[in-house]
Amino acid sequence: MPMTDNSAAKTGAATEGARARDRLALLTADNASVPLPAGVQAVTAILLAALLIALPWLGLGYRFLSIAITTLYTAIGLYGLGLQFGQAGIMSVGHAALMGVGAYASAILSVQLGLGFWTSLPFAMALSAIVGGVIGLPTLRVGGQHYIIITFCFCALFVIVLTNGGTFTGSATGLDVGSVTPLPGINFDKLSNNYYLVLAALFLALAATYLIGISRYGRTLRAIRENEQLARSVGINVDLHKLGVLMVSGLFAGLAGVLQLYYLRHISPTLFGAFPSLYLALMVMLGGARYLYGPLIGAVIVNFLPEVLNLDPVDSRIAYGVCLLLVILLLPGGVAAGIKNIYCALAGGFDRQGGGLNGRA
Amino acid sequence: MAALEVRGLRKQFGGVVALNGIDLDIDTDRVVGIVGPNGSGKTTLFNVVTGVHPATGGTVSWQGQDITNIGAHRIARKRLVRTFQQAMSFPGLTVDENVRIAWEQGRRGGSRWASPGMILDFVGLAPLGKAIAGSLPFGSLRRLGLAVALGVSPELLLLDEPGAGLNDSEAQAFAAVIAQLPPQGIGVCLIDHDMDMMSELCDRLIVLDFGTKIAEGPPAEVLADPKVREVYLGPDKKAALS
Repeated sequence: MPMTDNSAAKTGAATEGARARDRLALLTADNASVPLPAGVQAVTAILLAALLIALPWLGLGYRFLSIAITTLYTAIGLYGLGLQFGQAGIMSVGHAALMGVGAYASAILSVQLGLGFWTSLPFAMALSAIVGGVIGLPTLRVGGQHYIIITFCFCALFVIVLTNGGTFTGSATGLDVGSVTPLPGINFDKLSNNYYLVLAALFLALAATYLIGISRYGRTLRAIRENEQLARSVGINVDLHKLGVLMVSGLFAGLAGVLQLYYLRHISPTLFGAFPSLYLALMVMLGGARYLYGPLIGAVIVNFLPEVLNLDPVDSRIAYGVCLLLVILLLPGGVAAGIKNIYCALAGGFDRQGGGLNGRA
Repeated sequence: MAALEVRGLRKQFGGVVALNGIDLDIDTDRVVGIVGPNGSGKTTLFNVVTGVHPATGGTVSWQGQDITNIGAHRIARKRLVRTFQQAMSFPGLTVDENVRIAWEQGRRGGSRWASPGMILDFVGLAPLGKAIAGSLPFGSLRRLGLAVALGVSPELLLLDEPGAGLNDSEAQAFAAVIAQLPPQGIGVCLIDHDMDMMSELCDRLIVLDFGTKIAEGPPAEVLADPKVREVYLGPDKKAALS
């Protein structure tokens, strides 16, 4: 026998006036946990994939394509950060260093043992995952802010170690590698082929993120993010899952790092220091860590903004700061949240489903 | 042998002795109430039994296994589940997702619920499935807390002040749901201050004061106990004078 539900009736019968009052709040709200209809998701995915695949044929030029490659491998790293921050709620400001672990592992394997792109990739990813887990060990004892400081320290330490690593790490000059070992009929020296290599990896990252998001594993991570104590009390092994997600994040970072290495063909410690790390944190917050396309949107904004607005590096840092403030104040869920809310408001789909735009109506 | 056996349980926070050697036997076929003044150790008892805080001394055993200090998530997986005094949820997620998370954890070794939706039906939250938990009114949030705990397929449910903050009709509706649990094989042990509700709902009452058990038995008997009356009403002046 279900109990009588006064509150349900009250919520269901929200007045039109209250709806109007809440409309602005709804546009800026974070509604990542309310799924869009499957058809909309599929159409978005197909359109986006088509656009990304067609990009090299749009005649936008060499420079544009170079920035696009940078954007995509950065986005792959961001999907790891999106997973640990967006889903599990563990922020890192040393994520570039984790990409650096992958990049340097691959470069050192190439220089010392002559391993190519394909053979060194699994080792580099595995090492990034292990390092991610080891840095994560302190999070089991301390809260989120402390972990952020730990990641920052790791980042600084990593650069110091690389800079003083002698010929093994190439010191401040860094290391060089050859091009990606060609597959039959595909030579990755050609820029567009390199683009498709990175794009394929991005699709893998997107697919993995999507599958994790809708899986029981994703729900478990969100439970930990939302209420650690309650998560434990329903039987979730919080410590194990935290370490696990940091290792998965490390896998993504390692993949991104190796792609970065083989695109640039030369890496040096400054690529993986404090500023690149902070940019990654900025991108994931700007785009919206909890949304499937949030990290990609963040990467596009940060990588293309200086190009589109013709900003020099100093100006662009100021612009990023302003963007971040605006997003935190107006769109706590990131740009992706804003896009989703605008779509929902236009389509009115959620009202019809009876949950209100995001259940707050 | 009772399902939950607590022997000589002690908990100290620095110099404060919150639990001073508690012995309890709780079975899963009835409703047991724990009462006592504020600070008597009721919530601490739940926290130590369910592994939220480590015990300073004593043992807790559940279905014959020692579960003292084995960790909160392992205890929950053994189907000894608790709710919290502050109505807790995963606030940023939908009601559906809240219950599904618990249900998926409780599914290991078979759930008593075929789907999370059954739990929402049972507590009367089905119409609010798509709502964000953090936006629920308080009464619904309390019910969600119960739904999440039930999702784990508990054999014994420890409810920490499930009626706190509810109005009379909400509290009565809540009591009606709780009363349905023992016949379905879900034992209930609850803390509450509402003596009318407790004496109606509980088969047995346990009274705590300063971290020790001062009385135990059927509600009518316990509430007539002079020691219990003294704790609740203050020392009897006439008795003190004579």
